[in-house]
Amino acid sequence: MNRFRVRAESVRELGLLLIIVAITLYFGSQITNFFSATTFQRIADSVMIIAVVAVGQTLVVLTRNIDLSVGSVVGLTAFVVGKQFAGNLNLSPVLAIGLALGIGGVLGLVNGLIVAYGRVPAIVATLGTLAIYRGLLFQYANNSNISTRFLPDWVVNLPSQTLITIGTLNITVLAGLALAVVIVFQLGLTFVPSARRLYAIGSDPETARTSGIPARRLILIAFIVCGLLSGLAGFMYLAKFGTITSVAAQGLELQVVAAVVLGGINVFGGSGRVIGSLLGAILVGTLEYGFIRMRISEFWKQAAEGLAILLAVAGDVIILARFRAYLARAQSRAHLSASTTAVIVPKQESS
Amino acid sequence: MVRKNAKLMTALLAVLTMMMAAASTVTGTRAQSATPAATMSGPVATAKPGQKVDFTLLPKAVGNPVFAQADSGAQEAAAELKSTGKYQFVGPDKADVQQQIEFIKSLTTQKVNVIAISANDAKAVVPALKDARGQGIKVVGWDSPPAPDGRDVFIEQVDFSTAGQVMADMALDILGANGGKFAVLSATADAANQNIWIASLKDTIKTNPKYSKLTLLDVVFGNDDATKSYTEAQGLVDKYPDMQLIMAPTTVGIAAAAKAMQDGKLCDKVKVSGLGLPDDMVSYTKNGCAPEYALWSFKNIGYLTYYTGYLLATGAIKGAAGENYMAGRMGAYTIQKDKDGGLFVLMGPFTVFNKDNVDQFVSAPASAATMSATMAATKAP
Amino acid sequence: MITQPTHRRNWNWLQGRETLLAVIFVGVIFVNIQLSPYFLGVDNLVNVFQLSIEKATIALIMTLIIISGEIDLSVAAVMGLCATIFGWLYQGGVALPLAALLTLGIGTLCGVFNGMWIAYLGLPSLAVTLAGLVGYRGLASVILEEKSVSEFPDWFSALGQKNIAGLPFPPTLVLFVLLFAVFVGVLHFSAFGRTVTVIGNNKEAARFAGVGVRRTKLTLFIVSGFMSALAGLMYAARVGTVRANVAEGFELDIITMVVLGGVSIFGGSGTLIGVGLAVLVVLSLRNGMQLSNINGSVQTSVIGLLLVLSLLLPTLFHDVREARRRVKPVPPLAPPIADELPKEESQRSIKTTL
Repeated sequence: MNRFRVRAESVRELGLLLIIVAITLYFGSQITNFFSATTFQRIADSVMIIAVVAVGQTLVVLTRNIDLSVGSVVGLTAFVVGKQFAGNLNLSPVLAIGLALGIGGVLGLVNGLIVAYGRVPAIVATLGTLAIYRGLLFQYANNSNISTRFLPDWVVNLPSQTLITIGTLNITVLAGLALAVVIVFQLGLTFVPSARRLYAIGSDPETARTSGIPARRLILIAFIVCGLLSGLAGFMYLAKFGTITSVAAQGLELQVVAAVVLGGINVFGGSGRVIGSLLGAILVGTLEYGFIRMRISEFWKQAAEGLAILLAVAGDVIILARFRAYLARAQSRAHLSASTTAVIVPKQESS
Repeated sequence: MVRKNAKLMTALLAVLTMMMAAASTVTGTRAQSATPAATMSGPVATAKPGQKVDFTLLPKAVGNPVFAQADSGAQEAAAELKSTGKYQFVGPDKADVQQQIEFIKSLTTQKVNVIAISANDAKAVVPALKDARGQGIKVVGWDSPPAPDGRDVFIEQVDFSTAGQVMADMALDILGANGGKFAVLSATADAANQNIWIASLKDTIKTNPKYSKLTLLDVVFGNDDATKSYTEAQGLVDKYPDMQLIMAPTTVGIAAAAKAMQDGKLCDKVKVSGLGLPDDMVSYTKNGCAPEYALWSFKNIGYLTYYTGYLLATGAIKGAAGENYMAGRMGAYTIQKDKDGGLFVLMGPFTVFNKDNVDQFVSAPASAATMSATMAATKAP
Repeated sequence: MITQPTHRRNWNWLQGRETLLAVIFVGVIFVNIQLSPYFLGVDNLVNVFQLSIEKATIALIMTLIIISGEIDLSVAAVMGLCATIFGWLYQGGVALPLAALLTLGIGTLCGVFNGMWIAYLGLPSLAVTLAGLVGYRGLASVILEEKSVSEFPDWFSALGQKNIAGLPFPPTLVLFVLLFAVFVGVLHFSAFGRTVTVIGNNKEAARFAGVGVRRTKLTLFIVSGFMSALAGLMYAARVGTVRANVAEGFELDIITMVVLGGVSIFGGSGTLIGVGLAVLVVLSLRNGMQLSNINGSVQTSVIGLLLVLSLLLPTLFHDVREARRRVKPVPPLAPPIADELPKEESQRSIKTTL
């Protein structure tokens, strides 16, 4: 069963990739010099932070939950870590990144406890912590800014450090880090058995429970990991922007959820891959950069983004669901309850 | 502290004189700020300390350091005037007009004496402010003006019509006498003051031959959001390979643009200028990414706003065009009438920051601690 | 107005959401009176409501939508779009009543558009209306760009700003009270309301029920579009200025009110009385904090904390009681509590969260 789902997802991701290619070709025909190392660089730049958070969000959404507090976690982490540098310029990189992960992890733990053990619906719980974490940041910041003068050179210059150069393409350290996160989690979700259970929880909580999967603990872990990755993204945010205010990363959660939805992660849980989220983020990044280059009003960009999300979801339900149903029928009638499709396919569609 | 202040005042005065000279050649119409009392026509009102004035400073949003500076200035004035009323600094958590209206309504209910507002939307706050004024509350606009019928007077931080010239001067300073091509990175498309400044910049370039070698390529909007501003700055570089300068008249935009240039190792090719906070910008000033930029003193705005509100609330001035008054350490000011019929007081000049003077405007590294310490100091009468 | 809950000696009454909210409400009022002498002024009490009347209005339909197991994230964007179109039409010389009618029509169309995808194609409402949230706001910005429209005729502004002759409140408040009554009637006393609850209670069964379900869902989203447009008009009357960013972020406040009111985010249960009380709690709490001059950031986090605690505490109470009950009668065979929940609970915790 898993094999078929993966195949359906591959089709979905291939589709997304084709859309990205088509959009890139269109922009290329309109903008001189669009096919260049710079364009690659820019899109990588604008996607990396969202991609890291989107990986964490993917894990949470797979379990049929959602984390709306990620923007506040990124902002709070960036500020607190920046503040530590202000007090001690010689703070070691290990400690600084450890601190970022720690803060993110603790905030994620709080979310996870409220959702998994307090049994508060995730959308409500994290709507609450979105406000609470931001409020903490306001109190902590007390009307002050973090600016580059507080930060050591290695942090400020991090975004301009190149990891490897392939031909004319430079992959920066931060983009490489984001890519590494995506790859590690993609592999993890494919090969680590306990990670694969996230799918089971999301696609059929009842069966997952009766088959002895520790659902609560896994949901808690998904939230903690999402927090950790948001913390890491907070550190990247600090390095990238240098100037951090108490509204830092406000609204990031919407971009992240958009990337995840575009990437084909089923909002009802149980299906989707980390790679898909990355592609979703890249699609948004490409649209944004293309619109900037074409000098089209950003207002149209918003409208286009909305349409893209709608079409992606519609494509999922209408085309992919049929494809999955077809696969399922072709392979085995008795074996499957086709639980992955049942969640999203309404009666009238499959008949 | 005293020495620092003295230094600051000297610097301000120097710039002021320069500005006055410059401004009189360009506009020539508006009376300048801090005019020596002797040259003013009519009597000059002074404040009688120790009266009860409940004063609220309502910023666009809390959490922004520049508004915190205005708060410290207002506290300084409140301490000087020994008001027996309550002083408070409250506001929405984001620059949102709906929340601001709620604050105006609740302040009206509390019957404070003065609401000093930096408006998130010039028109949308007017019905609520009219209500407040109807109940005898004095409304002083600062930083971002409410429309004329929503206020008694507006403290205009700098002569908005000279902003264009200040920016054009900085552009010439950075690019050299032969000028060059530049683009503007603004805040939001609906920010009234931004649009006035940009219009003034365009006008200056068009009409004054001195600036004829400056070419404005484009105006883009970063929405006062770090991410968007950063991306827009990168986009400008890619769109206009021959661009040499990004002018960002917004503190968020200028910091994001400078970081984008530094990250792209572009600082030799594309400079950044505009309106910026020395605290945010000092490292870019020193590494040459943003060699020169300007701003006014938010602390002084807070100070002058408090004095003006206090004088209005105690009846020492009525809030009519032509009235003169003393505002403590800042000197004498005159209420003037604008083209749209609104009353305003012109505060004073831009301060231009560069590597020679920036250090004296930067607050100490542990900024939060020092700031609260000075606040505590000024709170005590 | 408020039932006395303290008669009973056990904690059962705490389980009643409405009772809990009523107690919180009384508590907030009490604290507000202590903190501010102005709280009880008639002007202030009217203000409390009037300032958030658009959110309260949309919360009515949001209640029904969430009870049906769906969600509409696009309400604030539709409201903004409609306010924008209204201003744009008026500026273009269209007579105000006609402009208002057209605006309501466009809001309704937005609702039809949302509803079609959700009801007839079975797309998740979260995703569809998320797209709407981004897209409708984009359209609003395309129409008005950076401009704003104000100076509506006095009679129109009076609807939202001036009190009815002889009474201390403006007409829009009366409209809201009427709408509240209508919605209570529809949800709690009509066949349609029962259908909505059934759909939310049992999505699986409802799916097989066919056409009726689809039509009900479509109707809900159409009404949502209409109510959002109405709220847009109310905003234009109350504030007197519209621009493309009107009502940005309202959706979170609205959902907070509904969920705080005890409507299950999974659908199937909830009352408008609860939502009404939650609206009162949120508004009076905010007002009290404003009168005590507490900054916006703290206000927002206090509401967030209230939201989380109001759902968390009853569950914890319940757990503690269950644990005690379990321990007392059967000491030898107490079930291992590892990760296994009582059946009902675990279903609640991981049933469709979105």
